[in-house]
Amino acid sequence: MGLPARLPHGVGARPAVFGIITDMATEGLRQAHSRVGLTLRWLLWGLGCLVIWGAFRYAPLAADFIGQSSRILFFHVPMAWTGFVAFIVAGVWSLLYLMRGRRPEQDRAAAAAVELGLLFSILATATGAMWARIMWGTYWNWDPRETSVVLAVIFYAAYLALRSAVPDPATRARLSAVYAILGLAVAPFLFFVLPRIAGFTLHPEPVVNPQGKIEMNARMLQVLLAGSFLFTMLFFWLHRIQRRIAALGATRTGGSKSW
Amino acid sequence: MWQRVLNWLADVGVLFVKEWRSELRTRYALNTLLLFALTTLVAVGVALGPLGTSESARTSVLPVVFWLILLFAASAGLPRAFVHEEESGTATALRLAATPSSLFVSKVIYSFTLLLGLEIVVTPLYLAMMELSIEDGGALIAALLLGGLGLAAGSTLIAAIIAQAQGRGMLFSVLAFPILMPLLLLAIALTRAAVSGDGGTTWATEILLYDATVMVAGLMLFPVVWNP
Repeated sequence: MGLPARLPHGVGARPAVFGIITDMATEGLRQAHSRVGLTLRWLLWGLGCLVIWGAFRYAPLAADFIGQSSRILFFHVPMAWTGFVAFIVAGVWSLLYLMRGRRPEQDRAAAAAVELGLLFSILATATGAMWARIMWGTYWNWDPRETSVVLAVIFYAAYLALRSAVPDPATRARLSAVYAILGLAVAPFLFFVLPRIAGFTLHPEPVVNPQGKIEMNARMLQVLLAGSFLFTMLFFWLHRIQRRIAALGATRTGGSKSW
Repeated sequence: MWQRVLNWLADVGVLFVKEWRSELRTRYALNTLLLFALTTLVAVGVALGPLGTSESARTSVLPVVFWLILLFAASAGLPRAFVHEEESGTATALRLAATPSSLFVSKVIYSFTLLLGLEIVVTPLYLAMMELSIEDGGALIAALLLGGLGLAAGSTLIAAIIAQAQGRGMLFSVLAFPILMPLLLLAIALTRAAVSGDGGTTWATEILLYDATVMVAGLMLFPVVWNP
């Protein structure tokens, strides 16, 4: 045919008018989409301010805690929770990769979730250690939840090490998906068996404990739930950005970015 | 139906015999496992022997060291399971000749028998050298059998993964330890129960659950790893 490989918009097989109409439609959709996105980001920012204000001004101090240290609850617990969410998201994307079409973007989504899960788990570990220094006297004491978060961090790091050791993108995606699902299969043992091995926990009772009672001041609970929601949304927003960055990197380098 | 099950079992048997035959030709894994375990055993024996270490410290520390010896010996010898097939070019023939599930099961049984052989040599030596007395012999045997099975199942799947990656030797430990960590902690708990003599049954059930989980996950995931 002798046509150039890339054509400018509206030139080529389809009539020019038709091209202009579809271009206008896609542009309009894109603008509407970005407007929704912008609104959501402002809402997230507002919620963030609200949670910070709530954590330091609205919620009361918990009894039996040294100084202001109980306020870390509103950031530490949501971060640990988000690390857990990232774990599940990575596992779901890995399952989708293996079972639904093996598309590169599914693999990138799993990898992005692991990167963010690593970040949030490390943040939860660091804030927890600082708080443990104040309340329990040491930075670290192998409480079962500390052990499980450390193993989650090791697992995430191992996943990324595996990705960097496989040069071929398709093989890398396949092997890392298998590893993520294996990790998800073994994870319940960390959460349910470790506390029994240790035989103790220094952590306060979970908010929703086995008896189904919520033992927390109503205001504290409101801020905690808002914080958890905030961090979960923050995770999904960052996840989206990470996926887009990875997609751009893949189109530029032909998919050779390792992780 | 029954015919297919029997055929599958026959496949597993043939592959298992083939594993041991090729192992006995080089004795690579056997030598690695045994020599690694014996050298660490000597090092631990000199450092933590019956003289110079208190009784209470020994009952809590020695089961830990025992399982660390087994874990590291396994991670020195077992990663070769699939790397060997890829290097010698027999992997393609295996892909054609055997179903993934029969291959996976035969590799797990092979690794399990290898580990059992190691445990049969190392355990009496360890108990004698450390003068560690066992109150509940059944719990110890359960720990060795179930722990060995879990180690074999977990490391077979990881070995299949690393056979297709670069930097294989290093990668095995990195990938296997987070997966094997719950098993290791449970096996240590069960061995401690064997030493102290109470509460072994619940730990044994939990190790059994772990083994079943990893076996099922392995059977479902191995075909994905094995067939590119």
